Amino acid sequence: MYTVARDVLLAVIAITALLSLAASPAAAQSATEPTAAELAEQIRALEREYEARIKALETQLSDLESKARDSQAEVASPEPTLRPASDNAFNPAIGVVLNGMLSKYSTDESEIPGFPVGHESERPAEGLALGHSEISMSSNIDDKFAGSLTLGLGVHPGEPTELELEEAYIQTLPGAGLPEGMRIKAGRALWTLGYLNEQHRHGDDFTDRPLPYRVFLDSAYNDDGAELSFVLPTDLYSEIGGGFFRGDDTPFGGSPNGFEAWSAYARLGGDFARNSAWRIGAYVLSGEAHERGGGHAHGDEHGHDEVMHHEDEDHEDEHHEDEHEHEDEHGHGHSEFFSEGLFSGDSRLYAIDFRYTWAPTGNARERELILQGEYFWRTEKGTYALAAEGDEEVGESEYFDTTSDGWYAQAIYKFLPRWRIGTRYSRLHPSSEMELDHDPSAFAAMIDWTNSEFSRLRLQYTRESLAEDEHDDQIILQYIMSLGAHPAHTF
Amino acid sequence: MSRKLLAAAVTALTFAGAALATPAIAEVRVFACEPEWAALAEAVGGGDVAVYSATHGRQDAHHVRARPSLIAKVRLADILFCSGAELESGWLPVLMQRGARHAIQPGQPGHIMAADHVAVLDRPDTIDRSLGDIHPTGNPHVHLDPRNIEILASELAGRLEKIDPDNAPAYRSRLTSFLADWADVMEEWHKRISSLQDMKVVVHHEAWAYFLEWAGLTRVASLEALPGIPPSASHLQEVLEQSRSAGAEAILRAPYEPRDASDWLSARTAIPVVELPFTVGGHPQADSLVSLFDVTLTLLEEVRNRP
Repeated sequence: MYTVARDVLLAVIAITALLSLAASPAAAQSATEPTAAELAEQIRALEREYEARIKALETQLSDLESKARDSQAEVASPEPTLRPASDNAFNPAIGVVLNGMLSKYSTDESEIPGFPVGHESERPAEGLALGHSEISMSSNIDDKFAGSLTLGLGVHPGEPTELELEEAYIQTLPGAGLPEGMRIKAGRALWTLGYLNEQHRHGDDFTDRPLPYRVFLDSAYNDDGAELSFVLPTDLYSEIGGGFFRGDDTPFGGSPNGFEAWSAYARLGGDFARNSAWRIGAYVLSGEAHERGGGHAHGDEHGHDEVMHHEDEDHEDEHHEDEHEHEDEHGHGHSEFFSEGLFSGDSRLYAIDFRYTWAPTGNARERELILQGEYFWRTEKGTYALAAEGDEEVGESEYFDTTSDGWYAQAIYKFLPRWRIGTRYSRLHPSSEMELDHDPSAFAAMIDWTNSEFSRLRLQYTRESLAEDEHDDQIILQYIMSLGAHPAHTF
Repeated sequence: MSRKLLAAAVTALTFAGAALATPAIAEVRVFACEPEWAALAEAVGGGDVAVYSATHGRQDAHHVRARPSLIAKVRLADILFCSGAELESGWLPVLMQRGARHAIQPGQPGHIMAADHVAVLDRPDTIDRSLGDIHPTGNPHVHLDPRNIEILASELAGRLEKIDPDNAPAYRSRLTSFLADWADVMEEWHKRISSLQDMKVVVHHEAWAYFLEWAGLTRVASLEALPGIPPSASHLQEVLEQSRSAGAEAILRAPYEPRDASDWLSARTAIPVVELPFTVGGHPQADSLVSLFDVTLTLLEEVRNRP
């Protein structure tokens, strides 16, 4: 209702403006720039009118109430004669996010050993390249439902533009008749999991997602499904919820029956003092994966160089010429299963997150400190199957029970209304089964300039250390701009 | 294993914490977006309402985070009382949606947007983002015209009577005495504003439109070339010339507005900066709606009566 009413008004006013511009540009010009004398005269005229009105107001309360009704009617229909456009007055709010980057990397290598990732989580192409563009449409459907659709456009040099349906969901409005505080969202959405998952990429504070998001969720979990959330009637903010999902998106995949995953979460939040706020949450996402790949083809020639040296009694046969590569009797090291194999089995991800914001003056727009962190812990039990090689009928496969975890912590400080600086550290602890001697980590520092709510420029330096003895120094210059409707931001 | 336990413990604690401390429901809970509406709700609702203000007197209501605490408050609110006209569009929709409270949704008696009940000024002719952060439905800062306070007091009392009919007589009598007192102070203010007629002022943002219109002040320039966008050097130069040629007497600033531009102008023109309360709590002495206008007029009179 609220947004529809606003859209109607917007459309009516926009059309009025267009018509008046078309009819007489000069009139529009002078209407926008009255002289001081004209203004003063208008003000005096208005004042005389109000003097008369206020006398009437003071006499009787009933007069006053009818006056209120009158002015309400006046506001509700500013231009009753100009309503021919009722068809498109109900068009959904349309927004576009434009994003481009200039990147420089110190190394060609960007694999994370043991954790194959998809396109979404790769570093962007070097040089000038488009980042992630988005088109979104959203609107209230009627008094009970609202809907939203977001298309993501991924551009990877040398490949056709990738169109991804990021979100396509409906959700209940407070008038839907559910118990107070309860909402249901169904379709495909960025589901409630940790802090960043719910957020579109353009709202991120850094050019890339932190390592745990890249390896555990391929940047974000937006499977098909339905989720229920319930804000409890407590003075302290508390929300619980959960959902059921198809099980097709990372960390799952290949869902045979379309009903393979579930989640549950709980969140608490409040204010510390009148200028600071906090929120914590705990989440679990569980399901079954069927032949989950990394999204990478096997053709990357760098992919094989990352196998770490290890001692392993089970596979003590032949050594290949590469002393860093230890392989079993069929020529495969553990890490190859993780990097190249298709995983089938149970996958469960636990997460906790926190966020704290402090605006020293009370105005987050002027100065603000944001501290944020998330910890992910994943257990997986199942088999990793390699592709058939040579004259093999079926590729080799092996069962693993793995526990990996990862976290990141970041601090963002807005020191001037348009300027922010931030740092982030993220780290992964691969399962010991993966036989990697190195914990991938990344450090990022950024500075960004925000001209308005709709445009931002960012310079980021990242030092990634994804494999042993490898460092990638990255410099990325990025713009993120949004045009059209821009939804209100969550905490 | 210990990690699993930790995760389980955190989850359990979160749920337990959520289940605890369910508040006792007695009064009508009013969620006010700005302190002026909180003050009005307290005046009309008295002891029959519990009022919560989402913002305080030194905060800019355009830019507020949709904090978890606000979602919790909206979830429990019986009345949502805000300025409207898109002032809160950056955060209120999130609260209304997440809080999922039916009683405060548009069309319900618990949904009061002040700008829906008064004559709105500054409705733009053209809407384009290049014109800055404009409010398509007009200027939302309606509270600085005391005549609007009267209108909203009656509106609120009517809603309270509907929502809480048991206490209707109390709301009616409080409204009557509020309006009587308000009429008295209005009479006094009318005398005071006659000495401020045609006072020329520079504003930072068009936050003062209703006050200027009521008090008969003339705005000669705005430090923000476009609403919501910090002033550029070239625009400031223009404002400098306009202020000089028009003979501006004061630069008006709200407590939450950045100081640099107004201080810059003041230093070059010797026009004094007057930091007006803007809302209840915006000045140490502006602790009620009446003192909000009293302090505002006093500060302006001080400038006008300078030797």
